[in-house]
Amino acid sequence: MLEAIFIFVGLALLFGLLLGYASIRFKIEGNPVAERIDKILPQTQCGQCGFPGCKPYAEALAKGETEVNLCIPGGREVMIEISEITGLEPKEMEATEEEDKPKEVAYIDEDLCIGCVLCIKECPVDAILGATKLMHTVIQQECTGCEKCVPVCPVDCIDMRPIPLSTRNWKWPEPGEKAKPTEPSAREHS
Amino acid sequence: MSVFTSLIQKIAPIYPQAKRWLHSFNGGVFPQYRKELSSKQPIRAPIIPERLIMPLQQQVGQPAELLVKVGDKVKKNQLIARSSKDANKALVVPIHAPTSGTIQEIANYTLPHPSGLEDIAIIIEPDHRDEAIENVLQVSGKTPDTPQQLKDILLNAGIVGMGGAGFPTYAKLPKEPAKIHTLLINGAECEPFITCDDLLMQTEADAIIQGALITANALGSTKILCGIESNKPTAIKAMKAAAADTIIEIIEVQSVYPMGGQKQLTQELTGIEMPHKAHAVDIGLLMMNVATFAAIYKAVTFGEPLTSRLVSVTGLGLAKPFNIRALIGTPFDTLANAAQPKTELNYPLIMGGPMMGFSVQNNQVPVIKTTNCILANPPEPTQMQMPCIRCGECMDACPINLLPQQMYWHSQAHEFDKVEKLNVFDCIECGCCSYVCPSHIPLVQYYRHAKSEIKEIHAEEKAVALAKERHEFKLARIEREKQEREARLKAKKDAVKKQAAQSSTTGKPSSTPKTPNAAAAAAKAAAAKRAAAKNAAKNNDNVSTEPEKTENNIPAARRKAIEAAKQAASQANDSEGNVMTPKEAAKKAAMAAAKKRAQAKKAETTEATDNSVKTESEATPVKKDPKQAAKAAAMAAAKKRAQAKKAETAEATENSVKTESEATPVKKDPKQAAKAAAMAAAKKRAQAKKAELAPEALQQSVDLTETTEPSAASKKEAARKAAMQAARAAAKKRQAASGSNTERPVNKEDNAADDVDSTNDKKQQAMQLAKANAAKKAAERAAKKRAEQAASDSSEESN
Repeated sequence: MLEAIFIFVGLALLFGLLLGYASIRFKIEGNPVAERIDKILPQTQCGQCGFPGCKPYAEALAKGETEVNLCIPGGREVMIEISEITGLEPKEMEATEEEDKPKEVAYIDEDLCIGCVLCIKECPVDAILGATKLMHTVIQQECTGCEKCVPVCPVDCIDMRPIPLSTRNWKWPEPGEKAKPTEPSAREHS
Repeated sequence: MSVFTSLIQKIAPIYPQAKRWLHSFNGGVFPQYRKELSSKQPIRAPIIPERLIMPLQQQVGQPAELLVKVGDKVKKNQLIARSSKDANKALVVPIHAPTSGTIQEIANYTLPHPSGLEDIAIIIEPDHRDEAIENVLQVSGKTPDTPQQLKDILLNAGIVGMGGAGFPTYAKLPKEPAKIHTLLINGAECEPFITCDDLLMQTEADAIIQGALITANALGSTKILCGIESNKPTAIKAMKAAAADTIIEIIEVQSVYPMGGQKQLTQELTGIEMPHKAHAVDIGLLMMNVATFAAIYKAVTFGEPLTSRLVSVTGLGLAKPFNIRALIGTPFDTLANAAQPKTELNYPLIMGGPMMGFSVQNNQVPVIKTTNCILANPPEPTQMQMPCIRCGECMDACPINLLPQQMYWHSQAHEFDKVEKLNVFDCIECGCCSYVCPSHIPLVQYYRHAKSEIKEIHAEEKAVALAKERHEFKLARIEREKQEREARLKAKKDAVKKQAAQSSTTGKPSSTPKTPNAAAAAAKAAAAKRAAAKNAAKNNDNVSTEPEKTENNIPAARRKAIEAAKQAASQANDSEGNVMTPKEAAKKAAMAAAKKRAQAKKAETTEATDNSVKTESEATPVKKDPKQAAKAAAMAAAKKRAQAKKAETAEATENSVKTESEATPVKKDPKQAAKAAAMAAAKKRAQAKKAELAPEALQQSVDLTETTEPSAASKKEAARKAAMQAARAAAKKRQAASGSNTERPVNKEDNAADDVDSTNDKKQQAMQLAKANAAKKAAERAAKKRAEQAASDSSEESN
């Protein structure tokens, strides 16, 4: 009887110490759920979800403070993945964009640009190059197409243009009956 | 071997797949070759078409950049487009004119690409004279000894892999010598219909062999193997003859599709199966097409760039198929029509063979460096795609042991991650699986689509990572800037507070001193002023506003002298090491002092108030640029000095004569001039006080002059001391003045002088006030802007 108690108390102490050590030694910084969500978000930093960027939205989602269907650029696929990670109920997208909107990048009409730097301040990824009273231009490779710069332009010289198709970004069409040559499934399983 | 082969040949009619046992790689198919259509014909005489279309991008990588414009006359072999960037990074090959003629147009034309996209092309109208520039590459004809020499020639010659992929050859070669131990020559040409390599080997075997030897020599390879399919006996014979007495070994390989694939032929020739994701170069092997070797030979030996190539023009729809040395840029239909099509060419031609080729969108597309065949097969009714029956034929046929069926299922379901895991990127798109599929499923199309999608997914992932990184960097930057701004604001606030404290006591913000010495002087002066102000406040309690104003102005007038001394000190400090400038600075100080004197004299004759109005009005245009104001003041001082001299002769009080006479010799010795300010200040003090303080101050300044006179190096120190002295004297004077407030009318002259000084001081004061105002305004504007922006932000968000 007594030895059994000793054994189990001893074991309890041992495992307690082990767990205690492990919790210190292998401590995980930050919120892994938020990071996982942040990874699947499209990182356009467009703020259409009402948060200042993708990461704040992911953090709010991880805390369960917000809805899963707010990421408009991500669309349905991202919504479903978010609900899978967070365990929240999937919800239909509210503001549904036309499904296969091709990726667009901002384009500045350089003749109209007055060099007000408003768009430069607005750009979440610093993809606009320019200085005060000097012409601005968009670094196309770095533009996420968040459209944040479009409304702030006082002279409306920014518009969103689809990336021109060339032999470098041309995709083989899908064979078979499916009529649509390009599927919007690019992000489906990223 | 022969027994085994003959046995297989016997089994083959009963069990056709037995033929697969004869080669080392898995699967493969045995299509109807139909090579006899064109292989039996001799090479046709070259055709110079009505126009040549030269797309700027003819291979993988980046397009070349134009070197010609519309209307230019070009000669054969002339460089018309090349890379402006580093070729080793950009994968650009230059383009040369295939014949002489005129640049007719530079416009968008349909590319010989499955997409049918258009891109910029140079249109040359040949003049049919075919004037050539000989040895345009300027080679010596000497065999290059190092890989880099060969690479340079190949880059300038614009040679790309001519088997089909079109990878720039210079980029394919390794930089390091002796990295390639075995050079492989691909003469398999396994695609049905195509015979251009066969014909090339028959007619230009020597060029191929020489090209291979040149390459092996440059790369330091010790072994050269050449694989030729058994269905080209004439070519094998010719090659063997040409390769006699060389290190080149001609190996006859089994005729099976896709024997000509790089991985397959390498395995067949060397027994080495190419590792996953490794390049042949990494394992010391390098394979090139026979046509590439021939082009290398021509480039290295004759300096000829790649402007033409052998093309098979064949197909079931042509009555007289042939092989031709076609100029790059020749439109497809020109060649196809030359082969007497059986029916009108209203169906799309195929670039490449029936297995791997693609239908072009427009029969006008040009021959490019990778075009080995123009195939005119009349369209057959497409067989209906049936569901997959999981027979596994595709798996048996796959030459690289992939699981075509699995990949098909997953790509159909758009599960591209799974397709990628099944190594779809190892697929060579040979089309064996589609060929054997009993359900006529276009399997290769699925893989191509899946590859495109996966590539896009990866590109997007990269873009997302980049966007995230950049966004985070931006946030960090904003945070940093905010902190910096706060720190700056705090510092500014402190400064403003200090200034406010000073201006409340002296009624004048002091300018920021530039040097520690000057700072010390300023601090001293400020302290003295504060003390003086206290005294003044004590005494001014029962005095009217008008005297108070003048009262306040009197110490300010003293300050003028201090300022002058300080300026001299700071300038002297600023230009340390410069001999001339300190002198000038000192001069300026003297001038400033003299200016005061001059004004004092003027005041004697004219009304002091008039003067003050005048100086005030003078100050207004200057105040816009406070920095220049000081200079302007100095200049004005110089002017006034002249006036002062005049005035001196006309009418001079005892004091002013004394001052002038003392100041003049000082001014002449610029090294000592720094002290002049202090002396002048002291003099003025003496004027004002007249009583017991004056001798003391005079003595002090004289002492100062004496102590620092011999040393030019100590003038900085002296200037500082002078400033301090002046400040101290000013404080004393303040005390005296405030004490003798009621005696003011008696010292009328001196007061008048002080008044003038004060107006002069007002000028400076106005300037400094303007400066402060401008700063304030700027701050206000910035704040307003920020507020507006915040408002607009919030309104946007609410939108």
